[in-house]
Amino acid sequence: MAEHVEADNAEAIITRIEHKSRKIESLLKQYKPVEALKTALEGAPPKTRDERCKSANWIVVHRALMAIKDVDGMFSSLDPEYYDILMKYLYRGLSTGDRPTCDQCLRIHEKLTQKAGLGCILRCLTDTINTV
Amino acid sequence: MAATAAHQFAQCTTCHAWSPDHSMIAFCPNSNEVHIYRLLQEKWEKMHVLQKHDQIVSGIDWSISSNRIVTVSHDRNSYVWNQEGADWVPTLVILRINRAALCVQWSPRGNKFAVGSGAKTVCICYYEQENNWWVSKLIRKKHDSSVTSVAWHPNNILLATTSTDAKCRIFSTFIKGVDKRSSGAGSSSDAKFGEQIVQLDLSFGWAFGVKWSPSGKTLAYTGHNSVIHFVDDIGPSPSAQTVAFRDLPLRDVLFVSERMVIGVGYDCNPMVFAADERGIWSFIRFLTERKTASAGVKYGSQLSGAFGKLYGQSKYSTGNDTVQVSIPDGNVHENCINCIMPLNKAKDSTTMRFSTSGMDGKVVIWDLDNQLDLHEYI
Repeated sequence: MAEHVEADNAEAIITRIEHKSRKIESLLKQYKPVEALKTALEGAPPKTRDERCKSANWIVVHRALMAIKDVDGMFSSLDPEYYDILMKYLYRGLSTGDRPTCDQCLRIHEKLTQKAGLGCILRCLTDTINTV
Repeated sequence: MAATAAHQFAQCTTCHAWSPDHSMIAFCPNSNEVHIYRLLQEKWEKMHVLQKHDQIVSGIDWSISSNRIVTVSHDRNSYVWNQEGADWVPTLVILRINRAALCVQWSPRGNKFAVGSGAKTVCICYYEQENNWWVSKLIRKKHDSSVTSVAWHPNNILLATTSTDAKCRIFSTFIKGVDKRSSGAGSSSDAKFGEQIVQLDLSFGWAFGVKWSPSGKTLAYTGHNSVIHFVDDIGPSPSAQTVAFRDLPLRDVLFVSERMVIGVGYDCNPMVFAADERGIWSFIRFLTERKTASAGVKYGSQLSGAFGKLYGQSKYSTGNDTVQVSIPDGNVHENCINCIMPLNKAKDSTTMRFSTSGMDGKVVIWDLDNQLDLHEYI
């Protein structure tokens, strides 16, 4: 398992997330929401215990998640390797309690469970080390 | 149909084991007793009840080489049972642990057994002739949490353990005077007692159920996060594969050949994993195929099936002592399967028949003979 990098690396991670955020904005402008979501999920969860990094990455993922209009279309171009990490962010979204976020997360959650099975939910719930 | 026989022995069983000739079965009906049944003219007859433990019996193993039964329990004790005439005579083994014992297994030669416990320790027990006494030697301070499963390497020295700190560890259990140094066995058998050979840190949830392949080259263990790990080249630089699957987690695994593993657990239906000719492991199928029209319907039916299980529990027929031939639709088990045992002759390296038991109190015997699509992996 990779060692958790601590505080001095947090700045580097934040810079990387900011860079990712700009890339996502440009992808969204080009109407490529799935590409944006993939970009947001890449390198997640950030290998750190630093809550600031995790929150920063969640903001980026949230931005891409909310831009998804066609959930079925999204799954036709999203590779299975993203399923586990996407599930973790869906649960983070549901934990915010924000109405539009929860609506969107539940819509995706239904489809994701059909695609990836209960095993995907179990992997998300049992993993207490790689939290998002 | 892969399941050839199913029998409802109790409301719930914690574990089971077979006599060396497979004519008798010992199981714990989720109590402090161990029941031994024998199949006589298509009927299971209760032969013995072993009563000595104070709390739930969590592990039973019946030695192939010596016809001894070892039992461990939440009462922190272990008994070795010897058959003398018609009776089973217990010998107490003081394990020296302060938490429940959780699992037990005889070593391949039957001269040692290993007990995993909630006290973060593993006890290796062996018989001392001069004192007429079973001695327990502890592997301490290696596990950070309860030891859920133990498995002996065919060389009688290496022991693999899984624990709820999400790790799988391999130890040397060499005991002077009990084991002999073998010249050609490589460096791993030179290690001292309790020395950790390797710690596998692949899982992110509780680890359950570990087994070695018949040759001891490959190790498989599973976890509470719906994954199964396959590890080759045990030693300083092991190579590992992780297979994540889409269904509920497994509790126990069994190698039926070098290239095929059966996993059992919360999905109530044994899963088949196999390695292709390049050695890449993957999920093949469920042993009993579910009758489902489409993937979309699957979840609904699975959930309603689970609710049906919860509400339909009054239908148990525990007094029925005849062999029921399983119903060919749906799952044979109706609750979590927590134990899988091979039913092969000692010399065979492949297992065509095995049995499973679980929290629904059933023991089911499975036969892979008529599962033609799986034969390429056996």
